Amino acid sequence: MSEVFVIGAGMTDFGPQPDAPVHELAFRAAWDAIVASGVPIEKIDIAYAGHAYQGPCFGQKTLMRMGATGFPIVNVENACASGASAVLGVIHAIKAGEAEIGLAIGAEKLTSPGGGFLPVVADDLDSSMGRVMPAAFAMQARMHIDRYGTTKEQMAKVAVKNRRNAMLNPRCHMRKEVSAEEVLAAPMIADPLTRLSCCPVSDGAAAVVIASGAVARRYVTKPVRIAASVLVSGLRTPYGIVDDRSEMSIRASRKAYDLAGIGPADVDVCELHDPFTIAELIHYEDLGFCKPGEAGQFIDAGRSAIGGSVAVSPSGGLLAKGHPLGATGVAQIAELFWQLRGEAGGYQVAGAKVGLAHTVGGGVTKLESGACGVHILVA
Amino acid sequence: MAESQNENKGPATRPIRPGLFVDSGSDGRPKLCGSRCRETGEYFWPKEIMNPTTRKWGTLTESEIDGAGRIVSYTVVARGLPGFASPYALATIALDQGPTLIAQLEDWQGKTLALGQRVELKIGVVSTDKDGTRVMGPKFMPLSS
Repeated sequence: MSEVFVIGAGMTDFGPQPDAPVHELAFRAAWDAIVASGVPIEKIDIAYAGHAYQGPCFGQKTLMRMGATGFPIVNVENACASGASAVLGVIHAIKAGEAEIGLAIGAEKLTSPGGGFLPVVADDLDSSMGRVMPAAFAMQARMHIDRYGTTKEQMAKVAVKNRRNAMLNPRCHMRKEVSAEEVLAAPMIADPLTRLSCCPVSDGAAAVVIASGAVARRYVTKPVRIAASVLVSGLRTPYGIVDDRSEMSIRASRKAYDLAGIGPADVDVCELHDPFTIAELIHYEDLGFCKPGEAGQFIDAGRSAIGGSVAVSPSGGLLAKGHPLGATGVAQIAELFWQLRGEAGGYQVAGAKVGLAHTVGGGVTKLESGACGVHILVA
Repeated sequence: MAESQNENKGPATRPIRPGLFVDSGSDGRPKLCGSRCRETGEYFWPKEIMNPTTRKWGTLTESEIDGAGRIVSYTVVARGLPGFASPYALATIALDQGPTLIAQLEDWQGKTLALGQRVELKIGVVSTDKDGTRVMGPKFMPLSS
């Protein structure tokens, strides 16, 4: 089977950037990725641009400013998994032999110039019944607490860890250390999730250049191989998103492990979808880092810290780096690219050889979620 | 709340969506309006176009769904969206007849809530539009065990 590699990555700072047009954010990330890869723009065969709310022809509007026009540009919306879906699209094009080199962009701008946030359209039945996202995850937390005895303190430790990691990453939105006591004492959003248990609303963009095995080493000496690229959509389930596990994450990660020929114990670094603290705990179990019900002990033992058995979200994750919806999935691939090349700076995971990116997106009544992407990268 | 729906002097009301519920079903109590499969007996709420479980066309009929069920999980939302009176209790409800839904609880304050707790359907105010119109929809009353 043809091999596919990441050969360049770029990313803006994450956080409120109300005065920066979103196309400019995406432009900067894309330009940095292209420059890092050394690929001349005329060699790019295809681009996918992932975003949730940025309007039609987003990729074209971004790339025309650098004279990157004419080749196929596909815009992808899959809610919080839009970025992962853009990466998958480029990989598929290269594997199909339709492209040698492709660009995946993810971007989102959620703040507005006058202050405040852009309105997000709620046309979903659950949303009109009062199901805000923190409430859905709060109900997951309640089930995990009830079934396994997971504690609020264990959930708070996720925020503490990811904030601590973020202090080492200058791109992060939230760069102040917090204690578990502060997380628990923060204003309640949806019991038991406090404000510090939830990811912030951020703007940002990320991009990666992806190349076939035939050309990757023409441009860089240390390309990072994509050993698995999996996207699944949600099943109709009795409880939709409210469950004490993520079936989609289990299904996508098992398929990715099979494709990569590795298991969860081989993963050195994981960028995980952690919009809320409880999500990270549940996903430790889904991704096989520990057994169902053992996530609380896993974080207690420091197993997911930098230096633990698998460093989870050393970048700060969604909780601290921020979550500009469409940017997130591409940013995860960029982070793993840097980690596996030893270029992550202060939050480098020593000797990282295998990285896993996991993202879930899209609240849809009666589905667990819209889409879940899992990518495995190998140095 | 629900009883004010038909009063002349009460504020204007509208259903959250048309065709989701009736205030008074076959036994005089509020019911959900859904679909039922003639072949498998499975209930769906809201109504479906075709049976998504069997993937067959033409086996569904419109059906009343009883509002008795139990709490699968719940939370108290301290900060909801504009138009929602916070705090409110939100729960995932598994109806005895099969469908599940996410809905707000009624008269929950001061009551102990638990997973598995029995509930019954009550139509009530889910949110309020900017012009003051009250948006009516299915809510659930926790029953003491």
